[in-house]
Amino acid sequence: MKSLTLRNLHKTYFDPAVGTRVTAIQDVSLEIGPGEFVAVVGPAGCGKSTILNMVAGFLPATRGDIIVGDRPVKGPGRDRGVVFQNFALLPWKTVIDNVGFGLKMRGIAKPERDRIAMEFLELAGLSHAAERYPNELSGGMQQRAGVVRALANEPDVLLMDEPFASVDAQTRMTLQEELMRIWGERRHTVLFITHDVGEAVFLADRVVVLSKGHVLREIPITIPRPRG
Amino acid sequence: MSHSAAPIEMGQGPGAARHLRQAATFVAPLVVLFLCWPLLVSAFGVDARVFPGVKAVFAAAVESVSDGSLLAHVAASLGRVAAGTLLAVVVAVPLGVAMGVNAGVSAFLTPLFRFFSVLAGIAWIPIATLWFGYGFGAITFVIFNAVFFIVAYNTLLGVTAIPMRLRHAAASLGASRLAMVTEVLLPGALPNIVTGIRTGLGFAWRGLIAAEMIATNVGLGYMLFVARDFYRTEVIVLGMIVIGILWLLIDRLILAPLERATIERWGVVQRA
Repeated sequence: MKSLTLRNLHKTYFDPAVGTRVTAIQDVSLEIGPGEFVAVVGPAGCGKSTILNMVAGFLPATRGDIIVGDRPVKGPGRDRGVVFQNFALLPWKTVIDNVGFGLKMRGIAKPERDRIAMEFLELAGLSHAAERYPNELSGGMQQRAGVVRALANEPDVLLMDEPFASVDAQTRMTLQEELMRIWGERRHTVLFITHDVGEAVFLADRVVVLSKGHVLREIPITIPRPRG
Repeated sequence: MSHSAAPIEMGQGPGAARHLRQAATFVAPLVVLFLCWPLLVSAFGVDARVFPGVKAVFAAAVESVSDGSLLAHVAASLGRVAAGTLLAVVVAVPLGVAMGVNAGVSAFLTPLFRFFSVLAGIAWIPIATLWFGYGFGAITFVIFNAVFFIVAYNTLLGVTAIPMRLRHAAASLGASRLAMVTEVLLPGALPNIVTGIRTGLGFAWRGLIAAEMIATNVGLGYMLFVARDFYRTEVIVLGMIVIGILWLLIDRLILAPLERATIERWGVVQRA
């Protein structure tokens, strides 16, 4: 596991509706230690997803540095695994091929990547759905696949963008508990974006409150695990 | 009979029956037309030089099959369609993908491709004969154009319709530029590409018949046109029947199932 450092991060963009440059992120600095779970919370439009998109390399920062371990971020890369709000599974691939996708990109042969993908599917309780297509799965099952797809690629940092926002409340609780179980075993460095304060407190070592593009407060959560 | 069937057969039974019913619904009007034809011809005493009887057409079919001329015409026509279509798809798909990944390029080229998509087909015949002379080149060019612009445009549409998050997901899992094309863009655009090929081939088939009337000495279009010079209406009608049936077979047995299969698998999530 590696650390994730955000240093004096800025993001401005031209808003055609307003006709001027708008500041989305204003001087955000954040240090996430190896194996630490940090949640960023804030209302819609506070810039929390913008931060994740910049860390993932999907969006260039206007100013500032993003560093994983000791390497600055330049574009998307497999050192940062991303879990998307709407799962973003490839609809034309089976679940096992989705989970093995990162391994395939690393040139690992089919039998080996199927074996590894199957291990991760078992971890998520999804081995029975290995040969199904994403659209045949419930939202909760799709997101389990989305989480282990990121994990199977052995990222240094896990980036989660409101991953449980589009499943029902019951499923969300189950997924949160499963995430805690997996994280407890593997201790990934996690940047977790959510608008749900309860979720942030349940999951994270530290909660960062974001408002209008800057950090309002950082709150360490000292409640012993398991929580709930 | 269904009460003793295994569950799996019960599942397939109604589906197969529905397919059969659909096929029957499709074929029935054609059969009615075929039955009315000799009645009408004899009832009104239609002259064979205006419209042929069934027997004459049947005789023409037997003759042209036995002397091999029908096969030669069909082979020539299908060969041109295959060559033109294959060439068009091979060029159009990579081009459509390349354009689709660049927003500026796609915005610029979209109106042009729409314009040429509408134009495609018969309108190219005069200039094609000027450029290539009469024969294979001109006709293949007409077919190429009919398929090329529609497939390129559809590929472009398909690529731009792929949700950005899928490209982001692939990139964050380590996909190279090449892998992005083969693993995300091509499969993502496949339903549109297949739809484009089906639409383009429809235009190409019509364009082919027209082009063959003008620009060649073998092929189904030529067969019709030359028969006209000799008042051989039975050959003309035979050719029309063959042209229609061939297209129905290509469309119903190859293109439509292909389109359905890709849209069912690939499209559900994307189009929802």
